Amino acid sequence: MDKTLNYSYYPGCSLHASAGEYDLSTRELFNVLGIGLTEIPDWFCCGATPAHNVDELLSLSLCAKNMELADKVEGDMAVACAACFSRLKTAQHVLGENDVKRKQVEKAIDAPLKIDGKVKHLLDIIARDLGLERLATAVNKPLTGLKVACYYGCLLTRPTDVPNLDCTEAPTIMERVIETVGAETVDWTHRLECCGANFTLSRPGVVIQLTNAILESAKAAGADCIMVACPLCHGNLDIRQKEIEGVYNADYNMPVFYLTQLVGISVGLDAEKLGLDAMIVNPMPLLKEKGLL
Amino acid sequence: MSRIGVFICHCGENISRTVDVERVAAEIGKHPGVAFSTDYKYMCSDPGQTLLKKAIQEQKLTHVVVAACSPRMHEKTFRKAVEAAGLNPFLCEMANIREHCSWVHENMEEATVKAIDIVGMMVERVKKNRVLPTITVPVTKRALVIGGGIAGIQAALDIADCGHEVILVEREPSIGGHMAQLSETFPTLDCSQCIMTPKMVDVANHPKIKLYTHSEIELVEGYIGNFQVTIKKKARSVDEDKCTGCGVCMTKCPQKKIPNKFDQNIGMRTAIYVPFPQAVPNTPVIDRDNCTWFKTGKCSVCQKVCGPGAVDFEQQDCLVVEAVGAIVVATGFDLYSIAEKPKGSPIKGYGEFGHGKIPDVIDGMTFERLASASGPTGGKILRPSDGKEPKQIVFIQCIGSRAREKGISYCSKVCCMYTAKHTMLYHHKVHDGQAYVFFMDARTPGKSYDEFWRRSIEEEEAVYIRGMVSRLYQKGDKIVVMGSDIAVGVQVEIEADMVVLATAIQPQKGADTLAQKLGISYDKYHFYSEAHAKLRPVECATAGIYLAGACQGPKDIPETVSQASAAAAKVMTLFSRDKLEREPIVARVREAGCVGCFACKKVCAYGAVEEKEIRDRQGNLIKVVAYVNPGVCAGCGTCQATCPSKCVELDGYTDEQIIAMIEAL
Repeated sequence: MDKTLNYSYYPGCSLHASAGEYDLSTRELFNVLGIGLTEIPDWFCCGATPAHNVDELLSLSLCAKNMELADKVEGDMAVACAACFSRLKTAQHVLGENDVKRKQVEKAIDAPLKIDGKVKHLLDIIARDLGLERLATAVNKPLTGLKVACYYGCLLTRPTDVPNLDCTEAPTIMERVIETVGAETVDWTHRLECCGANFTLSRPGVVIQLTNAILESAKAAGADCIMVACPLCHGNLDIRQKEIEGVYNADYNMPVFYLTQLVGISVGLDAEKLGLDAMIVNPMPLLKEKGLL
Repeated sequence: MSRIGVFICHCGENISRTVDVERVAAEIGKHPGVAFSTDYKYMCSDPGQTLLKKAIQEQKLTHVVVAACSPRMHEKTFRKAVEAAGLNPFLCEMANIREHCSWVHENMEEATVKAIDIVGMMVERVKKNRVLPTITVPVTKRALVIGGGIAGIQAALDIADCGHEVILVEREPSIGGHMAQLSETFPTLDCSQCIMTPKMVDVANHPKIKLYTHSEIELVEGYIGNFQVTIKKKARSVDEDKCTGCGVCMTKCPQKKIPNKFDQNIGMRTAIYVPFPQAVPNTPVIDRDNCTWFKTGKCSVCQKVCGPGAVDFEQQDCLVVEAVGAIVVATGFDLYSIAEKPKGSPIKGYGEFGHGKIPDVIDGMTFERLASASGPTGGKILRPSDGKEPKQIVFIQCIGSRAREKGISYCSKVCCMYTAKHTMLYHHKVHDGQAYVFFMDARTPGKSYDEFWRRSIEEEEAVYIRGMVSRLYQKGDKIVVMGSDIAVGVQVEIEADMVVLATAIQPQKGADTLAQKLGISYDKYHFYSEAHAKLRPVECATAGIYLAGACQGPKDIPETVSQASAAAAKVMTLFSRDKLEREPIVARVREAGCVGCFACKKVCAYGAVEEKEIRDRQGNLIKVVAYVNPGVCAGCGTCQATCPSKCVELDGYTDEQIIAMIEAL
């Protein structure tokens, strides 16, 4: 129980930009939970979707270099963004079994590969390293009565054998975490569907169609809010929600929380420390109604 | 002085492509003790064997080395040829220069040098070979058939029709297996019951067949020609001799809502039951887990109404021992279930289909029961959830099969055909319905098979969509099927009333445990392994044990029946002789040196090592030593490697021979 948990923290670009509240709430929550985070000095972009679509070697090299930087910091690598997590895990997976690519990457980054350290998503750290029992002891404002639709999106668990976070097609890790802090979860159909991701810039019409189906399904299942663990999913569901409601003539009014925000509320963190004011769909009426403010 | 003949085979080009066979023959001709060496294109062919025999006689050869393929392939062939030429067959050895040399090397020079070394080693070894007399053992001309599905029934009938006694053991209360569950069969659509049940009756009435149902194999001892099999007869709670099969007990049993496994749990049965009305034997069995008497000690209605007094609550499991000479394993298959898999299983379930939690997503076998005239719906296609007729039905092939990421790489072989059949049955029963099939490939080799598949599309209006389904979810009373049509390159979404999954064929549960009892090998999926994929497809590597049906790999009915008859023919070949000749490659104990530690007995996987008392002339016990029963010994050599005092030697593989081989290098 007394083991100290320390991680090298890789926020990823989004958390320093549009998902600032994810970064803020992560730091605050981990502080309360007694989990040490040291931001990796000089970390840079994982390459995200553009890099691996254009040049695999570039994508692998960017991840490998970041992992090399992380290796200098104590602890496993903690990753918040689902896309960064996916890219880093993919790089580990590909380089772990392909010697030719390994050599190419070593040449590109001009250093021996250091990819054997563990890359962990925040969910993994909370659910497994910290453990649900310890999480439960930190709760002082249980989310009683709050019905949460846990949204995984595409990347947290896929593809099979790469992220190894949970069961690929029927994961429960988000539900287990949020139920531990007192919330109810709903059984819904679209928790692993794609939100359209970065097509939000090039093909917004497609994204609106996909996100509408997700919001519709969450609403139909009786959820009060959606919980996500990815900045891009968050953007598509939260920022575009008004627009979706307009196009489909719907009324969702569905706050979209980061997992660290909801868990943060349960351990007694204030709204400003969780960046709740940065959410586009205002969560305050819901939180007031449930007595969580 | 030995006069050894060495015969180098080209194996067509298999060896000569990478090994300079002429050079090997020339080099080995100079080896001390070699009197003759030559090469030939196909040494195993008739001219090749004639060459070998002629050389033995003309050159007065004392030993022979054939440098060719693996001894697993042709050792028997060449030893027979050597015997025909008048030499003891065990004075012939094979040097494997194909699998161990030509197939695994590319450089001719290196491969040739290695081939010369391999042949040289075998020459040194064969010099130390002894004349070994053939071992003969008696043959018990009775066969055991394990499994009473179509494979076991066919094998049992074929063997029994030749006049040999057959013991047929079936785990379930009735024989019939999966075939009895089917509605109609491809490619002729004849009803399964109509072709199956008469065969079941033949088994019941056959004077040479002894049937044990509701029974399992407990223990198998012995060896080819001489097995002792212990069979556990599970308590039926009904006396088979007294029961007349009138069925009154079943009509009166108050427990009527127990899911019937035979009907894939969609139909119900009583606690005292026969799985289906045409069951053989037609003797009910009490399901003790669900019977009120066994649960609470109250009820006993069945006992009261039974006229002949056949119901016996006191009946116990009992063990029966049968002596047989051959065993046919026909344990069949089980269907892959998409439900969540237990932790640690290499097979992953279908979370994207809700792990089987949507009630109207059923498997192919359940569809068979719905379509069967004797099924729980009387042959009407109705949804398990609300009993409505589905107007849009989606069939998805390759569930589990050919899905490496889910843990199974193989093709289940029958699903393309039975799905085509299902679309026809559906179309015949629901005229205004529409069937869709998602498929990866249509694999329809077989007589009249492709024509059958085409018919489902062209005449029975099934819509085939090439592509897989990514997700199923319930939306109101519909099931949304999200898939892709890769031929057009679009995503497809169908709101279906029912979904039928063509789930993979897997070996029967417990196949591995049975294999361990029998001492036969199985693959990573637990399908039983044949001795040779092409040339010995119905025999196990363990002598005297044969395979029939889907326990060896996915098979349809015609193929299963063929294999069962083939296995029966192999059994009959064995039974055509009164004595059996066994290869004398067995271990022998040097009793003078044996200290009786029995380390060899502990490691012997075949139970061949016995304890033997050495007494003096007055009958006083001097010591107890190990004795290897040559009838049981499989010649694996484990005892030889284990013996701390080096007192066990395996004939043909003695330490002296192995050291001679090493020294030749």
